[in-house]
Amino acid sequence: MRLSEIDVVSPASLKDALSVLRDRSDRIKPIAGSTDAIIQLKEGLVQAKELLDLSRLRELRYIRREGSTVQVGALSTYSDIIESTVLGSSCRMLVDACRTIGTPQIQSRATIGGNLANASPAGDSIPPLYVLDAIIKVQSRERTRQIPIKKFFIDYRKIDLMPDELITEISFEAVEKPCDATFLKLGLREAHFISLANVAVWVRWEPEGASLSDLRVAMGAVAPVVIRVRKCEDFLRNRTLTEDAIWQAGQIASRESSPISDVRASIEYRRAVIPSLLYKALHTLIDSRRTWEKP
Amino acid sequence: MKAGDGRLKEQAIVEKKFSFRLNGGEVFVSAPPAHTLLEVLRERLHVTGPKEDCGKGECGACTVLMNGKPVLSCLVLISQANGAEIVTSEGFMKDNLPDYVQKAFVDNGAVQCGHCIPGFIVSTEALLNRNPSPTVGEIKTALAGNLCRCTGYASIIRAVQQAAQKD
Repeated sequence: MRLSEIDVVSPASLKDALSVLRDRSDRIKPIAGSTDAIIQLKEGLVQAKELLDLSRLRELRYIRREGSTVQVGALSTYSDIIESTVLGSSCRMLVDACRTIGTPQIQSRATIGGNLANASPAGDSIPPLYVLDAIIKVQSRERTRQIPIKKFFIDYRKIDLMPDELITEISFEAVEKPCDATFLKLGLREAHFISLANVAVWVRWEPEGASLSDLRVAMGAVAPVVIRVRKCEDFLRNRTLTEDAIWQAGQIASRESSPISDVRASIEYRRAVIPSLLYKALHTLIDSRRTWEKP
Repeated sequence: MKAGDGRLKEQAIVEKKFSFRLNGGEVFVSAPPAHTLLEVLRERLHVTGPKEDCGKGECGACTVLMNGKPVLSCLVLISQANGAEIVTSEGFMKDNLPDYVQKAFVDNGAVQCGHCIPGFIVSTEALLNRNPSPTVGEIKTALAGNLCRCTGYASIIRAVQQAAQKD
């Protein structure tokens, strides 16, 4: 299918978009920033006779905070997220993750909802949302569903989204003391690279010392979907973060992964770098924690 | 353009009418709704600053400003650009002469084969609009989405530094 043979529907509102989708979900494909979708269409990986362009729906492009809950409209671009003062103070980890995605030109267009819908195991916004226990809001003309992120991703590139539904909002609790969070990715170059492995860590520190009352660790590009490494989390919970404990936790996380070999890295390499990624991420948090105690 | 099935006939669907601001003026154009902005700029409007090299968002040669932000015109559909404000490398010229960024590229020998330069100019203008005194690190980050096949990055970075001083 050549691009010139495809029709594009440009709805004026979310309501209109959902109506179009209800009536012809069998033959219309929603697109947002389309930085992946147009490539997939050009290369014939995806077929469509009609596209439903969501990129002009301003009503789904917002980042706001209500109480301790942060709400991000699904059509917020990575640039919106990077420049957001709300996220700068409520969830630095997500800002840092989005800064590593693509290039400035991609960040101007690509949306966080698109990253979720595209459902790549290497999607860099996804591990941060896993450790935030984010809620994905999806809507059709008839109903609204609020889906915990771990249930939203079902299998490799398979998400809990009906053909007549759109992702409309992502929400999560702000990260504030005594909690902290960080994201780290590894690739083959310094810029414009796809993760060969990435990690997001959320922690709640004990009032004193270097131990954690709670933590969540998610890893991307090391399994068919982004995973929470629960055994690693259990091992570190309520434990003082000694060097030894951190390396042991990394080995446990590595055993929980099920990576593939691809053009970017081998199974063995991915398994081997997981402890190092976790080590660096935890040390970023430990260093950050030290600055809290300064007068 | 790309190796295809050799069909010349284009089952073009009905063209639609679009209008947007281009380099300060209003333009009206008919095009298939899923034509890329790049195709419309080059083939319908004959604005040839933006180039198609990779066609898949890797190289940055097609970079234009859309509503003030650098975007890849090979990954924007004309339908998505309807009503937008588009600026190509041509749009920064003043009285048909190079502006301070373009002049800095010339002065520093930053232009080798020249193919990538319109994209670099647009990314540089976007950077300097938002950050008039960038560090080398900030320049590299802002230009990370533009590839120079002559690998003339050192002189390009010098050009951006010089442009920033003149700003």
